[in-house]
Amino acid sequence: MSHESTTDAINRRGFLKVLGVTGAGAAVVSGCSTSKVEKLIPYLVQSEDQVPGIPTWYASTCTECAAGCGLHVKTREGRAIKLEGNPHHPVNAGRLCSHGQSALQGLYNPGRVKGPMARQADGSLKEITWDEAIALLAGKLQGAAGKVAVISGAGRGTFSDLLAAWTAAQGGQLVRYQPFAFEAIRAASQQVFGLSEVPAYDFAAAKYIVSFGADFLESWVSPVEHQRGFAESHGFSNGEMAKHVWFAPRMSLTGLNADEWHAPRPGSEAAIALAMANVLLAERSGNPADANGLRGALAAWTPEKAQEATGVGAEIIRRVAREFASAQPSLAVAGGVGNQHRGAAELCAAVNLLNYIAGNVGRTVKYGADLDTGDGYAALLALVEAIDKGGAQVVIVHDANPAYSLPKAAGFEAKFKKAPFKVSTSLYLDETAALCDLLLPDHHALERWDDLRPRKGVNSLLQPVMEPVFKTMATGDVLLKVSQKAGGSLAPFNATSWEAHLKAQWAKNVAGEAGWRDALAKGGLYGEAPVTPVKLAAGAGQVSYTAPAFDGEAGDAGFWLAPAASVMGDGRFTNRPLLLELSDPVTKITWHSWVEMHPETAQRLDVREGEIVVLTSPAGSIEAPVYIYPGIHPDVLGVPLGWGHTSYGEFATGRGANPLDLLDAKPAGSFLAYFGTRVTVGKTRKFHKVGKTEGNTRQLGRGIADAMTLDQAKKGLTPALAAKEEGHEEHEVNTEREVEAIKGFRESQLEKRKHGAYAAADLPMWGMTIDLSRCTGCSACVTACYVENNIPQVGYDDILRGREMTWMRIERYWEGGEHGEPLEARFVPMLCQHCDNAPCEPVCPVYAAYHTPDGLNGQVYNRCVGTRYCANNCPYKVRYFNWYAYNKKAFPEPLNLALNPDVTVRARGVMEKCTFCVQRIRGAQHQARLEDRKLADGDVVTACAQACPSNAIVFGDTQDPASRVSQVREDHRGYHILEDLNVRPAVTYLAKVLHHSEA
Amino acid sequence: MRKLALLGVGTLALALGAIAVIKRPAGAVQTPAPAKPDSLVAWVLSKGDSANLKGPRQPVFFRHDIHVGVYKTPCQYCHYSVAESSEPGIPSMATCMGCHLVIGGSDSSHKVEIKKLRDSWNNKQPIEWVRIHSVARHVHFPHMRHIKVLGPNACQTCHGDVARMPQVFKVQNVNNMGFCITCHLQRKVNRDCTACHY
Repeated sequence: MSHESTTDAINRRGFLKVLGVTGAGAAVVSGCSTSKVEKLIPYLVQSEDQVPGIPTWYASTCTECAAGCGLHVKTREGRAIKLEGNPHHPVNAGRLCSHGQSALQGLYNPGRVKGPMARQADGSLKEITWDEAIALLAGKLQGAAGKVAVISGAGRGTFSDLLAAWTAAQGGQLVRYQPFAFEAIRAASQQVFGLSEVPAYDFAAAKYIVSFGADFLESWVSPVEHQRGFAESHGFSNGEMAKHVWFAPRMSLTGLNADEWHAPRPGSEAAIALAMANVLLAERSGNPADANGLRGALAAWTPEKAQEATGVGAEIIRRVAREFASAQPSLAVAGGVGNQHRGAAELCAAVNLLNYIAGNVGRTVKYGADLDTGDGYAALLALVEAIDKGGAQVVIVHDANPAYSLPKAAGFEAKFKKAPFKVSTSLYLDETAALCDLLLPDHHALERWDDLRPRKGVNSLLQPVMEPVFKTMATGDVLLKVSQKAGGSLAPFNATSWEAHLKAQWAKNVAGEAGWRDALAKGGLYGEAPVTPVKLAAGAGQVSYTAPAFDGEAGDAGFWLAPAASVMGDGRFTNRPLLLELSDPVTKITWHSWVEMHPETAQRLDVREGEIVVLTSPAGSIEAPVYIYPGIHPDVLGVPLGWGHTSYGEFATGRGANPLDLLDAKPAGSFLAYFGTRVTVGKTRKFHKVGKTEGNTRQLGRGIADAMTLDQAKKGLTPALAAKEEGHEEHEVNTEREVEAIKGFRESQLEKRKHGAYAAADLPMWGMTIDLSRCTGCSACVTACYVENNIPQVGYDDILRGREMTWMRIERYWEGGEHGEPLEARFVPMLCQHCDNAPCEPVCPVYAAYHTPDGLNGQVYNRCVGTRYCANNCPYKVRYFNWYAYNKKAFPEPLNLALNPDVTVRARGVMEKCTFCVQRIRGAQHQARLEDRKLADGDVVTACAQACPSNAIVFGDTQDPASRVSQVREDHRGYHILEDLNVRPAVTYLAKVLHHSEA
Repeated sequence: MRKLALLGVGTLALALGAIAVIKRPAGAVQTPAPAKPDSLVAWVLSKGDSANLKGPRQPVFFRHDIHVGVYKTPCQYCHYSVAESSEPGIPSMATCMGCHLVIGGSDSSHKVEIKKLRDSWNNKQPIEWVRIHSVARHVHFPHMRHIKVLGPNACQTCHGDVARMPQVFKVQNVNNMGFCITCHLQRKVNRDCTACHY
């Protein structure tokens, strides 16, 4: 051990010092001074796989949620600087969401526990050594046989196997718990098919998707995979696209991507699913034979009866059912935190029947994969009760934060405190860790060996990509060391190290060292889980609907509370400035939480946007500012989950309100009814300015986010022709003289291109296409851009002043929603359009903004003197001024270690904007030159295009007619935003396609 | 205002440089390296101090003139990544020890310096070299492309003839864009701003 720790220390030192060699972390634009003495500190022993200046990539696995996406981790000079999806991984196929992108800020978070700590007699925490910490825990365990309780996060793999065996050896209890555990789906699968598992869903194959509030693009089961599939089926291609119908009282981001929204009475969706199943059985032949046995049970569920229960018209239900049946295969989904009322299990069971009758089970709903989601809420509550009754001497909490994620009404804190010795392995001083007696901080997932089995057939590996940032230790090592120290029943856990144990387990799967290395390089072993054929179980006949109970006041004053999983997820992401600054895809709010209220309700209650309201339920009350949201049932209030931490680090603590405080903790069957209470609204007449990043929420005829109907798209109309067909006037018409002038101007521009560097042969012209029928507005591209380009997070105050620095942003516009028209959302990723005829360039007095020969709109930071003329003249508002010394302020140590050394960190007083990832272009060009070849299509992929889970963004050379971008640009749906200005953007958007009903 | 401040810094640096030049004894300025270390260097070392030589004093008096000039070690033996990466690569301590585990130095002045190296290796403390050449942080200089075009011995174009330098000093102000552009103009190669500035 002592030997190991010295090597560790030196290596870490070496890693920190090596930063000096390239000066990577602190590349600052204003650093012209030559008087400072810089040091070059060499490695003692050069690592074989690190060459300074060249990134080293490691395959790993994302642990930000239970989906288990594969990662490619980019490291430079020994530190991870960018995460990208692993293209070989079956779950995410090279894509990554915002949460995954932000894992770097989990790794380099200033709030991390920097080493083992023990609670002193006076209640304070004191740093101790690892030897002391292990001796302390071993001592406590020796007297605690049969009285050990372990709460661990979900995440099935060699570690969870070890932990289970380790706990069992002491006669202890283990619960694997994550807040979003999909218990209702599990219970419904058990009831209808006799199989307690979460199946895999194939959105790519589905031609018709009905979601009963399952937010499958956000928090539901495996979001990146679903989004990938959803874009495949719902994106317009070859004259086809799937239709998506959303039945839920609140539109989440997933709902905003639906073609049809119907808001049923909260909790009543099961009636719709049953009525649809009934219509299918009654009207369709060729249903599965055993489904016909359900005729009797379902006959009572006519669409008319469902209308009575839900408020959704019978003819709508009948039509959707028929469309659902005629599209083969289709897919209905339900469950998950987005719509988890007390009837969620019944709803999921009804949806199972619907899928079964429609013949989707086995085609788009695949049992057998058994997706891992942990043991669920009820299991955790039972364990907490056992702790309360004195059943545990030692409690270990690993990768879970129940003190935050259980409702206050569960009384976790008081019950947990009854255990005499509490241990946390949390990386951060979260609410649970703050109650513990011993902190044994685990390595971050990017610092340790590990593996995950998110589903059958997928064995995904994690490997340390860098030396640990702090004095942490992998919990696997802690368990083994403690076992050796404590002996007794733990003596069999005698592997020399956690890494050795993991490799020994893997030796069963892979052929020798070569096989192991191969698996490491690929990121794991991947196969298809065989699909388990399922038949209806006896419980299928009992599927029914009764209106679920809600707590709280039932009258006019009572509003249903819909807690929603937004960017903050279950609260584990709240201490990352990157995600705090990321505007919520639905509301565009940053840095604080909110209450979504329908405009009519706001009018009735006489509250305005930003007014702080008090929501009171029988369990408690919270305060948050109102956000007026048309996408919600007038009797429902939406509140985002994940806010209101009391201990998690400087960015999260005390920020926003926690809707869990309003919930009753009693489980509804096996799960927590998030959507389970009504609240009353109290006015405070206090205001909190809403930190929104949006401007006008309506397009006002500017033609920014164009769309056309499916029929028009099938006919091959251009957006302009489609608009004309709809009877809209053209956005703005240039007169004949203007057209002539534009033509002349264009010719003179082309003439100028014949001179100087611009005349060189074989120059590429970089361009991009963004397909709005695939884009869901998820904002993964935004996060990827922030990480790649060292963009500072400016904070709430500066957001209010409009000083956010999002080089790439997602604009969200509302359509309809007034005068009885259905509400629709349009998302437009907005970034520098790299105009051929850019208005920003001629106004720069110092030539900082200029056009490069390869068609980029360049911005030379060291020339820029900050007049901001360019930003004033930019019609797209994509130029951002650096108002403060964000290079110093926005990256507190060790967050600065995530900075990309290939991109200048801009100093104060400089204009900055999207560069089309010029560092990636130049890097690829260097590489091609070294290899004496030309750049090939696909050699340059911008960070946004790389991340996009929908594959909506294509980047490449428009001069090459064979390149993908050239081909996509020719699509009839292509248009340029604000085309009439004659700025000739290099970004082509493909209009969204609306799949409305023919009726 | 910022311009003024920068000017101030520049002037200050100039002034300091001038003082440094004035203080330096004329005889210590570089002379061609002889086949064997000559009496001048011996004289300098007898003073126990390489500070009289041009260029910043390094913690270990590493002799490029001996390694490159006498023993003809190719640059890339130590600066291993210059042909493949934007960074030239600072040799690790293990690279030094690869030879100096055996080679202890022929005379006392060498032995002293090699002992410093061995001590720091044994103490696992890397030597902290003083950086001589650096470009501003908003400039990206890809070493490998220059080596690719100009060949493996092109280093001296910017770094001077280190084979004749007992102690390395700055021959060209590589942080001056004019120096880069002159060459790029002559060779008619890329002069686009975003070739280096991004």
